[in-house]
Amino acid sequence: MTTTSVAPSDPALAAPVRRSRLIVVIGLLVLVSLTIGVLVGRVTSSGAPMPSEASAEAGFARDMQVHHGQAVEMSLLVRDRSDDAEVRLFALDVATAQAQQQGQMFAWLVMWGLPQTSSSDEMEWLSRPVIDGSAGHDGHGGHTPGEPMPGVATFEQMQALQSATGVDAERLYLELMIEHHMGGVDMAEAVLARSDDPVVTQLARGMVQLQQKELDYMAELLAERP
Amino acid sequence: MAENDETAHESLTIKQQREKRRAEKVAALKAKQAKEKRNRLIGIVAGATAGLLIVGTLVAVVVTSATPPPPTSQNLTAAERAALEIEGLEIFESVEGLHVETPVAYEMTPPAGGPHHPRWLNCGTYEQEVPAEFAVHSLEHGAVWVTYDPDLVTGGDLDALRSAMPRTYMILSPFTGLDAPVVASAWGAQVALDGVDDPRLVDFIIKYRQSPTAPEPGALCSQALDGEGKIS
Repeated sequence: MTTTSVAPSDPALAAPVRRSRLIVVIGLLVLVSLTIGVLVGRVTSSGAPMPSEASAEAGFARDMQVHHGQAVEMSLLVRDRSDDAEVRLFALDVATAQAQQQGQMFAWLVMWGLPQTSSSDEMEWLSRPVIDGSAGHDGHGGHTPGEPMPGVATFEQMQALQSATGVDAERLYLELMIEHHMGGVDMAEAVLARSDDPVVTQLARGMVQLQQKELDYMAELLAERP
Repeated sequence: MAENDETAHESLTIKQQREKRRAEKVAALKAKQAKEKRNRLIGIVAGATAGLLIVGTLVAVVVTSATPPPPTSQNLTAAERAALEIEGLEIFESVEGLHVETPVAYEMTPPAGGPHHPRWLNCGTYEQEVPAEFAVHSLEHGAVWVTYDPDLVTGGDLDALRSAMPRTYMILSPFTGLDAPVVASAWGAQVALDGVDDPRLVDFIIKYRQSPTAPEPGALCSQALDGEGKIS
């Protein structure tokens, strides 16, 4: 007689079970398809989300353009004030390389839909969190968010370079540019600690490598001009 | 084994044989029902999956094409405000960058683009009036020129104005004959401001300093003409 209990003559008991199971299945399918939809949407939109107004990437792109701008300016100044082939060629190298990098950073901001001018203080982007969260390797070389950029020559130092000539101009240029490059390396390392944007980190890594090499070369040139 | 079965079968009573046949029928019916149930479930799941895939695709399309809604809140950052229209902003579409070495009668005061001297004015803070034909060339390089009425903007106001200027691509100078206490100009754009604390000053600088709307942003704003009274 036990066989009769599963016969179709007992729908009142089986139907609610079946219905609740169906609801669970549909619910799960809704979740899965929504998740897939959002993921597909994310992937097919534009890869990673674009850096925002307050991002380390935008702050770096703005401050580093200004920083590079002064390197270009100092390099052009020394070329007009020295006839030394080595220093003039080095200055031409710095001016053209950094002007080209300024253009890259300008274009990032245009593509991110952000203005070239920040709405916050210089280096405020140092307050953005570092990616790996490790203390002691935050890469900002002891700088404080919102403090002026590291390595930038003062108005008076620029005036002095402007009025110097010959070996004096070469020496002052090298001294100022060594400070400038050290600040530049700090800034590039600071964004490397805070960004995983492939375009930004590629350029920043290149800056660190190149400017460190140029620091060694400038130390040699300076040593030859006691 | 078959023989044993047959023997067992023969040994069953009629009643037992009937019971067995009945049990076989019930089992067949149960199998049929299970199969129907399975087919029905497959149909429901397949239908639901297809429907939900469509929903998922729609969501994907919406997420992909979604744009943030235009800001309506008063709680905007300066950059967001600058992205909106600045109240009282004047645009001069037709300014052209011809090089001339003669004085120019500009259509607006102070000039916000137009013919200019081949030398540009070095960017910075000036205590004295600067030659307009040179400053206009700096606007072409993406500078913003902030001018103030020297009779109205003095002392602490002037200090505040000076410290509000970004490090580069900015000119700050007195200008007599302004219609407002402070006027900010860029290549092809200008706004008259109520004073040094007018929030539109920051908005204008964010929007126009080194803006791609200037013909040559990034070209130098140094190493040309240092005007009289340049203090930084």
